[in-house]
Amino acid sequence: MVSEALSFILQLLIFPGFLFIICLAFFSEWVLRKFVARIQNRMGPTYTGSGGILQPFADFIKLLGKEDIVPAFAERTYFTLTPLLCLTLPLTALFILPMTGHRALISFEGDLIFLAFIFTTLTIMVFLGGFLSGSVFSMVGGVRAATQLLGYEIPFLLALFGPAIPASSLSISKISTWQAQNNAWGLWTQPIGFGVLVICLLAELELLPFDIPEAETEIVAGWNVEFTGRRLALVRLGRDVELVLASTILADLYLGGPQQVWIIPPIIIFLAKMFACLLLIGYLKTLFARFRIDQVLSGMWKYVIPAAMIQFIILKLIW
Amino acid sequence: MIPTARLGLLRWARRRSPWIIHFNTGGCNGCDIELLAALTPKYDVERFGILLKGSPRHADILAVTGPVTNQTRDRLLRIYEQMPEPKYVIAIGTCAVSGAPFWDCYNVVGGVDKLFPVDVYVPGCPPRPEAIIQGFVKLLEKMEAEEDE
Ligand code: SF4
Repeated sequence: MVSEALSFILQLLIFPGFLFIICLAFFSEWVLRKFVARIQNRMGPTYTGSGGILQPFADFIKLLGKEDIVPAFAERTYFTLTPLLCLTLPLTALFILPMTGHRALISFEGDLIFLAFIFTTLTIMVFLGGFLSGSVFSMVGGVRAATQLLGYEIPFLLALFGPAIPASSLSISKISTWQAQNNAWGLWTQPIGFGVLVICLLAELELLPFDIPEAETEIVAGWNVEFTGRRLALVRLGRDVELVLASTILADLYLGGPQQVWIIPPIIIFLAKMFACLLLIGYLKTLFARFRIDQVLSGMWKYVIPAAMIQFIILKLIW
Repeated sequence: MIPTARLGLLRWARRRSPWIIHFNTGGCNGCDIELLAALTPKYDVERFGILLKGSPRHADILAVTGPVTNQTRDRLLRIYEQMPEPKYVIAIGTCAVSGAPFWDCYNVVGGVDKLFPVDVYVPGCPPRPEAIIQGFVKLLEKMEAEEDE
């Protein structure tokens, strides 16, 4: 009993818990920056650690050591709460996603709904943080984030719940196990859903074609314009964890998640799938230029939502 | 023992990730294009961890180009004051260094150092991207020497 509890605490804190996820987050930011730089014919971070691998860590430490400013017009509580929640919400979500084996660290029937809840809360936190930090630019950024939510929320949920139908379960661990055992990856059985989920995750992460809430060239830095020092460090780390979260969702729900192949342990297979998804996200991010907010809304409602619905209908007809 | 180790880590991190914000105080755009050339693929200062940031709240280094005009004087001061400590200033181009040919114009204050202390001057009209990168490297050396004291 005691040893069980101890091993659970160790799992929670070290592997595959906090420490592992945070290292993975730093590492995936480096991978993404390097990958984007290579596509753009640049070198990317080079001299910090070998090949620049410590660059995200150096950024984080530097931000921790900077002056911490709370603007006079900011709402202090939310100004502090937003960066914290930006980090803790995606971290919590990663605990319910299977990484090392068939079962996630914490898994229960209906955790898919919990995941959807966390994603919506994140966007609402972004909106509140932007709206209450007391700058015009951050207000515009926050409102844009909330507006964008109206566009991608419905197709996101449809694509998120698609894989639950063939597996007839609302638990992420069971869905990915079912896909791995029946060799029916969501990518092959419902390709439209996969595309829709990738598009919506790009919008959720505010990555390039949809980085409207942060649009540097229009509204300075969008909703996080007023964050300095520690708060900015947490926001940035939260973004990295969200990146890991997005690729993990794709790997678990559409690529079968961690599975044992021959003698290769599941964690290696899982990491391979996760980084494949990460690179796909990075590739799309580099490929596109930013849309306008009205283009995003009309595009989502005209094309992406119908596509997600068609996928749902096809699924219902087959299963 | 522990504080020095912590300071060492912080110093290492600061040298490795200087983020800049770029402000044109009324120059002819020559220097701005050279600065952008230093940021874009051919010279790519992201190799040193240097990123261009949009918000003064996120930046460590204020890169000023052009002579300070009466119009931009207040804006420049405000941006400088919005940056969190520790902050550094680099003046790019002869205009930002001293005001250059515009030093006694009726609408020009002069070089940036009339308003606040400047850490590194990069002369040239406009300076080449190599010179700008050299300026950044000088600034990083200066940061290290400063924190040693
Ligand atoms: S130094 Fe030369 S290139 Fe730079 S802003 Fe002044 S006139 Fe233009």
